[in-house]
Amino acid sequence: MPTDTMTTVMPIEIAQRSERTRLPTKLEPVFEISALSVSYGSTPAIREVTFDIGRNMVTAIIGPSGCGKSTFIRVLNRMNDLVPSARVSGKVLYHGEDLYRPRVDPVQVRRRIGMVFQKPNPFPKSIFDNVAWGLRVLGMKDDLKGRVERALEQAALWDDVKDRLKKSALGLSGGQQQRLCIARALAVEPDVLLMDEPASALDPIATSRIEDLMHELKQNYTIVVVTHNMQQAARVADMTAFFGIEVLPDKSRTGVLVEYDETQKIFTQPSDERTEGYVTGRFG
Amino acid sequence: MRVTLQEELDSLQADMLEEGDLVLRSLRGALNALRESDAELADEVIEFDDEVDRRYLAIEQGVEVLLARQTPVAVDLRLVLAMLHINLHLERMADYCVTIAKLTKLVADHDSEPGMIQAFEEMGSRGEEMIKVALDAFVDRDVERASSLVDLDELIDRANRRVVRHVLDLGPDPALSEWGLRMIVVSRCLERIGDHAVDIGEQVAYLVTGEFREFTDASHERQSSQ
Amino acid sequence: MAADDEAQGLFVVDGRLRRRRIVNRVMEALATLAALVAVALLVIVVVSVVKNGWDALSVSFFTETPTFSALGESGGGIANSIVGSLILVTLATLFALPVGVLTAIYVSELAPRSVANVIRLALDVTNGLPTIVVGIFVFSAIVISRGQSALAGSFALAIIALPLIARSTQEVLRLVPPSLREAGLALGAPRWRTILGVVLPTSMGGILTGTTLAIARIAGETAPLLFTTSLAAMTVMWDPRDPVQSMPLTIFQYIEQPDPSYHAKAWATGAVLLAFVLVLSLCSKFFLARSRRRLSG
Repeated sequence: MPTDTMTTVMPIEIAQRSERTRLPTKLEPVFEISALSVSYGSTPAIREVTFDIGRNMVTAIIGPSGCGKSTFIRVLNRMNDLVPSARVSGKVLYHGEDLYRPRVDPVQVRRRIGMVFQKPNPFPKSIFDNVAWGLRVLGMKDDLKGRVERALEQAALWDDVKDRLKKSALGLSGGQQQRLCIARALAVEPDVLLMDEPASALDPIATSRIEDLMHELKQNYTIVVVTHNMQQAARVADMTAFFGIEVLPDKSRTGVLVEYDETQKIFTQPSDERTEGYVTGRFG
Repeated sequence: MRVTLQEELDSLQADMLEEGDLVLRSLRGALNALRESDAELADEVIEFDDEVDRRYLAIEQGVEVLLARQTPVAVDLRLVLAMLHINLHLERMADYCVTIAKLTKLVADHDSEPGMIQAFEEMGSRGEEMIKVALDAFVDRDVERASSLVDLDELIDRANRRVVRHVLDLGPDPALSEWGLRMIVVSRCLERIGDHAVDIGEQVAYLVTGEFREFTDASHERQSSQ
Repeated sequence: MAADDEAQGLFVVDGRLRRRRIVNRVMEALATLAALVAVALLVIVVVSVVKNGWDALSVSFFTETPTFSALGESGGGIANSIVGSLILVTLATLFALPVGVLTAIYVSELAPRSVANVIRLALDVTNGLPTIVVGIFVFSAIVISRGQSALAGSFALAIIALPLIARSTQEVLRLVPPSLREAGLALGAPRWRTILGVVLPTSMGGILTGTTLAIARIAGETAPLLFTTSLAAMTVMWDPRDPVQSMPLTIFQYIEQPDPSYHAKAWATGAVLLAFVLVLSLCSKFFLARSRRRLSG
């Protein structure tokens, strides 16, 4: 009778399941940040931040208030330029190019690096015009309707609004407005999507939708999200950067990068005790 | 909604069912080795336990990460905790298979008593059946099926209680006696495998009802002569 | 006894409460009275204008130009004044609207703090200039060398309208939340595109409101027209290089005439002006309401 041998080939299903790792084994950097420091006038905001942000993954920035998370993310698309007193030093390489080289046009930067804000801010125009405005301004007018539809689909909003594209965007619910803002940002085909606390003004169900959306979008975009909600970072992010607050000799406070690692490491076994103190909610 | 959480749960469950599959193969291998006094097969069973241990650790880690990242609640939390326990029961069952294999190796060259061998085959088959029932009940979240495991366990328990009598009846031959004593341990392993299957059933009941409850308590209801 | 104890609880009605109630009622009465007085004033003005000018109002009043009989009676209508006023107001708006809006954009979106403050101050001072001073300024600048014209008159009116439009536009621009500008810029739109495409359309309702109110104001200004377009022919003039007659000036000139037939016409002209202002005010309310509806979805 045939002996049942134990050494068998692994069934194919098992092999496929192992491939379904969400984290790419190698981090392809989109941003390479070194010694980045930002101050507003004489007030320091963040100091000597150095790390890489990887392609097609969700990177979360967490930390207590005042740690410079928003300042940091706004460095990535030159939105800090809007604050006259902002001073940026250090290097921010985007696909190898320094974003803060003197000849760089911030407008061009923002075309490739889009942003979604904390409070949904759709234009007081129709739903269609909200998405189409950017396309018209940037000269992407061919197949306008198609582009608008695709953007709304990517933002998981098309089914909700396809019958009322001409209605005012302000008639949508908060969660829908935020998805509209995402569609608006995606329409102009950026490479990176920055999200500054995108769900903090939304109810839990709308938040969950946005999180599922991030999971979808990271296949085609690189996503950086600032969040004050640790659990959200735990749920959505592949890599997490924890910014802490450092007190300088002159008593001023500045944000610094304390730890940057795979999210599952940060939330199961952080290397730095400051990180552990923060994620366990025991301080900060 | 919460696509990632669902994917993670499905993935863990699939991994665990795979582990169950491996345990079944391990048990079948151990039983065959025992019946045939096949030391080589017994070695393979012992080697194979590494596979089960790998799965066990992966699932442990998977549970840890899922709890940390997804903070599941309600039925999701119960599912994760149930899987944590079931994982442990599966791993223990595989360890018992290893013990049986080791004992088989130890007395491979001894004579055996066909009657007892037959009994072990029956106990083992019942054990296999119980593992399958337990895992099916888990997949289907079927509490009734899970509770049926208690009755299935009866046969194994009764057979186990009769083993000592059988060994005493084996006669004065020292080789045979040694074989008999080893076989008492084998019987105990098979009985424990049955118990772990019942434990898995209890986890299924917990998952569905939210209550921690033993189907039977060793100190109540049934007479146990251990 | 128990009931009395009950009344002595936490929230007892005592003399203090009664006094407060009386004071409340007195204040309410005074406020209502003041509001009634304000409305009454308007009503009195409107009623007296209409009453005094009623006899002179007729279709011919609007369609005919003035005629003069040998006896010094007035005949005909004020068609030329109506057309003249329309020309003056239109030209003034054509100049003041774009300049005012662009100035407001510069001050609120583009200028550095200190420069913005200076410009705002200049606008406020211009706003406070006596209209007659504006009139004599335009007189000396343009009329002396080139004679009177509707252009000169509308230029003077534009100077008066400009700070009004600039101020109200500024206020509306300030109400546009910075997040909207950020949203536009974050898409990679240049600044001016964001202003023209997002900020301006959002404030359009308020801008129209402010403009409408400015028009209502300058429609009735008399002093600037005294030296710039007062010697006009009594026919309907369309060429802006010629001086035109205007409704406020007609009122001014007619009321000084000895013949009472002129007086009735003056009051009637006043009624037409009032109607014009009333319609414009209602329009401005309409624009405001519509823009509020658009901004809140």
